[in-house]
Amino acid sequence: MKLHLPPRVSPKQFQSAMTAFAGVVGKDWLMDTDADRDAYADTYAPGSTEEWPASAAVAPASVDEVRAIVRLANEHKVPLWPVARGKNLGYGTAAPRMEGTVVMDLGRMNKVLELDSTLAYCVVEPGVGFFDLYDQIQREKAPLWLSVPGNAWGSVLGNALEHGIGYTSYGLHARNLCGIEAVLPDGDLVRTGMGAMANNPAWHLFPMSYGPTWDLAFSQSNLGIVTKAGVWLQPAPETSLEIVWDIPKVEDIGWVIDTITPLKISGLIDQNVFIPSWLGKMVLKGQRKDFWDKPSAIPDWRVDELLKEHKLGYWQVALRLYGEEPVVKARAEVVKAAMKRHLDAAPQENWWRQGDPIGQYETTMGVPSAVPLQMSDWIGGRGAHMGFSPVVPATGKHVLDQMARSRKIIADFDVDFYASFTIGGRFANNVNMLMYDRDNAEEVAKMRKLFDALIVETAKAGYAEYRTHLGWMDPVMETFDFNNHALRRFDEKVKSALDPNGIIAPGKQGVWPAAYADKRGSAYKGGQ
Amino acid sequence: MKRIVIAAALVAMGAAAYAQAPAGPPPMPPYMLRPLAPEGDRLKSGRDGKTLFEAQCGYCHLAGGMGTNLLTKQQMMAGNPPEKGLLSNRDDLTRDYVKSVVRMGKGAMPQQTKVDLTDAELDAVAVYLGKAD
Repeated sequence: MKLHLPPRVSPKQFQSAMTAFAGVVGKDWLMDTDADRDAYADTYAPGSTEEWPASAAVAPASVDEVRAIVRLANEHKVPLWPVARGKNLGYGTAAPRMEGTVVMDLGRMNKVLELDSTLAYCVVEPGVGFFDLYDQIQREKAPLWLSVPGNAWGSVLGNALEHGIGYTSYGLHARNLCGIEAVLPDGDLVRTGMGAMANNPAWHLFPMSYGPTWDLAFSQSNLGIVTKAGVWLQPAPETSLEIVWDIPKVEDIGWVIDTITPLKISGLIDQNVFIPSWLGKMVLKGQRKDFWDKPSAIPDWRVDELLKEHKLGYWQVALRLYGEEPVVKARAEVVKAAMKRHLDAAPQENWWRQGDPIGQYETTMGVPSAVPLQMSDWIGGRGAHMGFSPVVPATGKHVLDQMARSRKIIADFDVDFYASFTIGGRFANNVNMLMYDRDNAEEVAKMRKLFDALIVETAKAGYAEYRTHLGWMDPVMETFDFNNHALRRFDEKVKSALDPNGIIAPGKQGVWPAAYADKRGSAYKGGQ
Repeated sequence: MKRIVIAAALVAMGAAAYAQAPAGPPPMPPYMLRPLAPEGDRLKSGRDGKTLFEAQCGYCHLAGGMGTNLLTKQQMMAGNPPEKGLLSNRDDLTRDYVKSVVRMGKGAMPQQTKVDLTDAELDAVAVYLGKAD
């Protein structure tokens, strides 16, 4: 990719900044060739990767190097886009929001600094991936489990800071963060919580600060660069029971939600319960053309045939309980009785006990896997996906309402409907997966228009996304409109005060520093 | 028929994670623990290509991984045995091809940065996998 300079930075100024950065990290860890820029492009870009082009990447190996680069970036007015491992697939990968921003790749900072089995937590740097942490736990035979996202190729901290979700009792990943160290936009270094006191051993145990608590202010944020954090882990349970129901009809999702949510809120179920629609299973069985050889959306009659042929329900609930066996058994009876009021078919039950092997794809047991990325092969070509991900109250009424709306919009665009709901407590994360071939321009254009329509129509109904792709960060922020966008005004007041040069991640989540206020919406083409 | 044979082979490879046979799901393959990356300067040549491959590419290219699953299917469609889904079993890869795919990406595989795999590490991996040279 050719060089796109940051706004108001001349080629000479830019080169001067690169020389200065290289002086900190060494020339090999300053990457500014055309090939390097390609390496940091959005691998699933819905359109040209040059809509969100990085000018270079710099890879510090220590907190001191991060601080030095931030100071130099201020001096040279060259903005930085921090990424942990740069695997934010479906949301922009490692690419920056604003053209010409330099990616700060923290992948070399990949140490597990602490692993504490007694109090069940770890302290990690941003470059530690789920696989890395899992491997270390296995090597140490530590009695700890992770919570992993569907695609676990990325960073433990990166995923938590982006509000990623997993499918265990610790599935709300941002909630597992406890005690953060961050480099501020002026290069200062802060530790939150009890870590604000030097050598306080409760840093990663007590989740609040004395005074305002800032931990989550560094999530989906451009207020600082997180250089380490504590992450709470699940103690390995004595047993676990998976109970699997195939749920026959699309509209059954209403009673499923109304049955499971009260049990989740009461604490009887402590897992984040993931409920994918049938297509989530089919994408692992082959390519779309094997099941429907037309470009049009798979019609309902063919869906019915496929469900019969492959013995699938429209939805699947694979609920997992964890703990001592008598407790798990008692909980299971309550859950099964509640489900039986609506569904006669007996569920499949899969017990696991300490010492039993754990399979490679047991996401609900915290095993990291990248296999869900196989869905990229469903469409063929350079497969790609984007998720439209609104949050809704976890009641059947809200879920059915949301599903009917997005299903109709998606059908109007003649696109396959592939949804999931994850019950995280009083809310459900709804992900509508849109899969496309990056090399089919017509298909990409359609997906962009569809994404626009989903945001607009969903906002009209009062719901918003919890996370989105670079290209829609501004439109989604626009939907948070209470009191003339008071939240954004507050975010930007804080941002501009802390970061007058707008050095860290300008435009992240639609929050623009005063220095780049004119760039709002600049990469968004309104579905073009 | 060909598809049925492939599906059976994928199960044998431990690749068909959720492809349920009538009698229930096939046993899942165990988790593949990756080795620690070899000690030494990541920018210097001479580190072990096999260990580097398993440590840095093993997320997807060990038994049961995403890349192995997709490649197994492709290899079988081409009439090759399922074992060829593992890159370490291939003898038709050249070093240049390995380097190109790693840096440019291919199909479902995203491109890899120099932080993922340095040029020196990629050289070592390419020597290990590039048996056709």
